[in-house]
Amino acid sequence: MTVNPSLAAASSAEVAEDGKAAALLRTEDLTIRFGGLTALDHVNFAVPRSEVCAIIGPNGAGKSTFFNCLTGVLHPTSGAIFFAGADITGLPPNKISQKGIARSYQITNILPNATALENVRIAAQSRRHSWSLFSHHRAYRDIIEKAEAALDSVGLLGKAGEPAANLSHGEQRTLEIAIALATEPQLLCLDEPTAGMSAAETHDTVQLIRRVAANLTILIVEHDMHVVMELAGRITVLHYGAVLAEGTPSEIQQNPRVIEVYLKT
Amino acid sequence: MRRGHGTVFWTGFAVIVALLIAAPLVLTEFWRRFVTEILIWGLLAMSSDILIGYTGMVSFGHSAFFGLGMYGAAAALLTIDPPNLWLALFYGLVAAAAVAACVAYFSTRLRDIYFAITTLIFSQIFYVIIFTWTAVTGGENGLAFERPPLAIPGLFDFVLTPTRLHWFVLAVVAGSYLILRRITQSPFGMVLQSIRENEARTRAIGYAVERYKIVAVMLSGLFAGLAGVLYALQNQFAAPDFVFFLVSGETVIYNVIGGIGTLVGPIVGAAFFLLLREGLSRFLTQYYLIPLGAVFIAIVILMPQGLLGFMRRWLNE
Repeated sequence: MTVNPSLAAASSAEVAEDGKAAALLRTEDLTIRFGGLTALDHVNFAVPRSEVCAIIGPNGAGKSTFFNCLTGVLHPTSGAIFFAGADITGLPPNKISQKGIARSYQITNILPNATALENVRIAAQSRRHSWSLFSHHRAYRDIIEKAEAALDSVGLLGKAGEPAANLSHGEQRTLEIAIALATEPQLLCLDEPTAGMSAAETHDTVQLIRRVAANLTILIVEHDMHVVMELAGRITVLHYGAVLAEGTPSEIQQNPRVIEVYLKT
Repeated sequence: MRRGHGTVFWTGFAVIVALLIAAPLVLTEFWRRFVTEILIWGLLAMSSDILIGYTGMVSFGHSAFFGLGMYGAAAALLTIDPPNLWLALFYGLVAAAAVAACVAYFSTRLRDIYFAITTLIFSQIFYVIIFTWTAVTGGENGLAFERPPLAIPGLFDFVLTPTRLHWFVLAVVAGSYLILRRITQSPFGMVLQSIRENEARTRAIGYAVERYKIVAVMLSGLFAGLAGVLYALQNQFAAPDFVFFLVSGETVIYNVIGGIGTLVGPIVGAAFFLLLREGLSRFLTQYYLIPLGAVFIAIVILMPQGLLGFMRRWLNE
């Protein structure tokens, strides 16, 4: 498996799309049904390269389902997902990760008994050396350095040796981001990165995401409106699995339909 | 700190190996054989620790790998003239690996109890085949054969006396421990432990989890097969009883008693269990299994980490 999908091939495919802005991620009529429930209903959505996009919507709007479709946890009933010009619909999570999409989870999802460093190191190792059986894992300095750099970038290097379970809730949430960064993604999907955080932690996380966004495309699902308005260049509102509105933060704030279903409550 | 750890670890390793080298020189034949068999059962238990302790998959089918190693060795020793130790090893390992590949392919699609039951079913299938295919396997009677010499043409040629066999077993078990320990510390081994900790997360960061599980089952099966070959050499027979699921169950018990995820714990567990059973059966000829079960329950309740569980972090350092 290659480290990165061929960027050259990807960008040429993007240009081929008649005149549309180069979208790193694009969904076409993405639909998923669970029995009688349509959780996502013909969602057409695009994330332009180097932007921070946000998805908001009331509980049950299909935000997490959308994330799970993007990252291969769920398979869409119909529709397609394109990433960097390639069709990634229906690929398993590991292949999608190898293509360059990383995610963090709404509910903290780490290796609790491993150290913070090991959590990140194992993610970095997924790109190379992972089938080595007879060398000590510490022999691969490149992986450890990459992991330490990822920890450093989220400000957790000082806790590298701590078991992840001993970190505070806020630290575990940032560890999630470090794990995602260690896989060297092109697109980082953050599922409610500030969930359950104190105001101070939320502020730090916003700063962190802003720093990270300098070199990455980010897709964020968030409940905290202040966080969304502060970070996102574009916002998509989901309602009952369908796209209700799309636009810049100020457009969304003034959209009467959005105010009706979401912002007011 | 790490340097000090290494010194203590290797000193401990050397002392224990030295004691085991000296064991057959001071023990009676009965206890010599007892210690050799503990090492063999320990190797079987250690091989299953790769799955139970490191990957988080409980196998109830290790008797199949063990038994196929045994019958593979028997096939080599009965069909090749003169009997050759290395070919017995080779046949045993190939047989165990072939079965492990088959079991791994199907069972790793399932998780938790479903994985355990699938391995159990596979081992019972092989048990029934071996038990009923009398023309080839000798059926219920099994197969008996002579011990081959320990020889490398042009270098040396020893008759495998019980003492030499003990040393040979010790060398294989100690070597297997070092190899398995290194594998658990390798990048591959770290992926297995990541799967144990959080399978969905491991997949999400880019690992094809099923492939790692398949290789883990095959590796585990290979070392279980190695234990089967050693057992065949020790006892000069292969019997269907050793493919029966009781052996798989005892393998899991050794792991639980000794401490999973430590590699040496399962060997200690095997030693503890077998010694206790031997001791109890001398005093309570009929009812010895009752106190044995009580001790097992007590350990599970009072020491859920097993005898060496407290050393887990240190041993894996």
